[in-house]
Amino acid sequence: MKMSSISGWRDVFAFTLKQTLKSKAFIIGFIIFVTFSILLIPIMNLVIGDNVEEEGLIKIQTVYVYNETEITDIDFTKVSNLEIAVNDLKFITENKEYDDVLEQIEKDDEPAVTLKITKDEGMYFLHFTKASSGIVKNTELELLGNAVMESFEQIIIDNVDISDEQLEVIKSEVGTRVYTVDSKGKEIILEDTSISYNDYWLLYGILFIILMVNMTASTKIATSIVTEKSSKVIEHLLTSIKPLAIIIGKILAMLSAVLIQFVFIIILLFISNSITSHYINPGRENILKDYINPDVINNFGIDKIIICLLIIALGFIFYATLAGLAGATTSRVEEVSESLTMFTFTSLIGAYVGMGAAGTLMGTGENAFVYFALIFPLSSPFIMPGAVILGKTSVLLVISSIIVQIISIVLLFRFVARVYETLILHNGNRIAMKELFKIAKTVKEGSVNEK
Amino acid sequence: MSLIVQNLTKKYGEKVVVDNLSFEMDKPGVFALLGTNGAGKTTSIRVILGMLAYDSGKVLWEGKPFDAVNMSVGYLAEERGLYPKYSLLDQLLYFAKLRNVQKKEAMEKIKHWSERLLVEEYIFPPKTKGKGKGKANLAEQLSKGNQQKIQLMAALIADPKFLILDEPLSGLDPVNTDLFKEIIRGEIAKDKYLIMSSHQMPTIEEFCSDIIILNRGKTVLQGNLNEIKKGYGRVNLFIKSEKDIASYISMFGLKIQNKTPSEYHIKVQGEDQAMSLLAKLIEEKIPVVKFELREPSLHEIFIEKVGSVHEDE
Repeated sequence: MKMSSISGWRDVFAFTLKQTLKSKAFIIGFIIFVTFSILLIPIMNLVIGDNVEEEGLIKIQTVYVYNETEITDIDFTKVSNLEIAVNDLKFITENKEYDDVLEQIEKDDEPAVTLKITKDEGMYFLHFTKASSGIVKNTELELLGNAVMESFEQIIIDNVDISDEQLEVIKSEVGTRVYTVDSKGKEIILEDTSISYNDYWLLYGILFIILMVNMTASTKIATSIVTEKSSKVIEHLLTSIKPLAIIIGKILAMLSAVLIQFVFIIILLFISNSITSHYINPGRENILKDYINPDVINNFGIDKIIICLLIIALGFIFYATLAGLAGATTSRVEEVSESLTMFTFTSLIGAYVGMGAAGTLMGTGENAFVYFALIFPLSSPFIMPGAVILGKTSVLLVISSIIVQIISIVLLFRFVARVYETLILHNGNRIAMKELFKIAKTVKEGSVNEK
Repeated sequence: MSLIVQNLTKKYGEKVVVDNLSFEMDKPGVFALLGTNGAGKTTSIRVILGMLAYDSGKVLWEGKPFDAVNMSVGYLAEERGLYPKYSLLDQLLYFAKLRNVQKKEAMEKIKHWSERLLVEEYIFPPKTKGKGKGKANLAEQLSKGNQQKIQLMAALIADPKFLILDEPLSGLDPVNTDLFKEIIRGEIAKDKYLIMSSHQMPTIEEFCSDIIILNRGKTVLQGNLNEIKKGYGRVNLFIKSEKDIASYISMFGLKIQNKTPSEYHIKVQGEDQAMSLLAKLIEEKIPVVKFELREPSLHEIFIEKVGSVHEDE
């Protein structure tokens, strides 16, 4: 590739970027992303905050207890976990008729429920009843039920009069441990490399955002190429600039637009988190820490951001080049979606391999499949950024992934460039894959003059 | 300065779409590429401009390989090509930038050409009340003729030395046709090199000194238009008489091409034959109001050349 072949790419880049940033589609998408980034943390705070509030404010004040079991002297107030869970709660052993009490609760509209304890076929049952139109919520009753159930287990144990030592024996859990040994019988200590449920969702979320942005931006590249062909602008452009400069300028412009979006999302998320933590809910230290492993946040430095953006950028260039190929083979805008089938299929393969690796990381930890997914050029753009953020990859793997990605881009770009140069003025039916290889081969053999 | 196109051949698979095209422009002027639809005119232009790779031959400008990207070329394509959804001003500034025209100079050029081509209101929309700037016009909102004007502006924005106009007047109304012709005349006056492709023979005759006629990629006629015409001789005789002279015409074995109530258009072998007919009419005392001997028109030459090739096939 001669330098003269790409001269002028900066002009294409500047024009495409300016027009992309000005386009309605980009502005609407950007507003959605910005709104999402700004509102995500306050909404999370609101949801989490409400739960906390509910935990501390169970409004039930009275529980009328009807005990129909052999256990006597049931005193729930002695059980500590209930004191923590529920404030100012009274348990009253009631002598009145059960139905009368229910009627009274309904009538007085008081924050009270009944608890009937029964035993059937060796099992104890706790029946809670609340007024149908009362002020007690189902969620409150559910929380109370769980707390009472745990307390009741303690009451049963106390009732059978066994010593603490005996209780400890009864409560002892049975576990299994598997050891791996080498040929000399020496134990091989395997590090637990699995990730938590929250980490998995973080990986999944990052993967999904990259996939979404990648597909949107790549589709725009293909559409932009086809629009230039179908509107015949390309003929005018080609008197001023070489085809390679056009495709390079376009891909880099879209890449910049995507990175601008990403950087804004990250910055706004942190700003939103900071504002929410300091002003909206000063009691909560950091909302993100409730969902993201604190180690991840503490270790999330500029180096990781740069590596992530580099990998995302390389992945984008790879997929954008593939989308460029789809655009080059098509000459009518209405055929773009059809020509993007191969691109979509390839992206989804990459994303699914990435998802598989995320699942594997949660289930069994690092293994050969995870390493493959981190290096494989189709999946690494999706999974590697998340793995870098979680610290679930080594420097060697990151370097390998970047090298493989660069090699893949160079090979793919050479192929696409040949096809693009040949088909840039193509006006007709969509070119099949078989034909593309034929074109690339023909150009390579030099049967067509290259000036 | 000169343009040399030598044995240029372009194939699509086994099909030869440009077959050994050769011509030369050694001085400023207008060179015409003529041919029927599908004759290979646009492909020839694309090959010359380097948009399409060619299989053999060469294209030289001042003795060096022709490189449209790195020299001053303006191209008005046959099919209108503008970004449908981008502002016209943005597009023109972009095309200027690609031609290394700086923004300030480009703005001056855009203003100049928009005034001349009467498209100022589209490129610089009038300010809306209460707003600083008028809403930009998009190419898709313009008529075909106005799009063509914008595209001509794009071709001329860098004041190119070499201009290729592919069907520049197609689809234009008479007013705009005259406007375009005036601009083309202006460019010719600036000693520019123009290649023009058109189906409108009178336009070609009006502007072009040298022509080449293509048929299915092959050159069927080429040379200086005046020389070509001279080569044919004055074979068109127009006689106007108040009497019916059909019997005298047939007496000389001549064929009437066209007849109006008072005028005959006759095809003659040469001037002698025409003079013999005139002498006979005078001898018979038949009043001759008009006697005119003309070379064939380009239209006739074109029909003859392209038609004869089709007949041969």
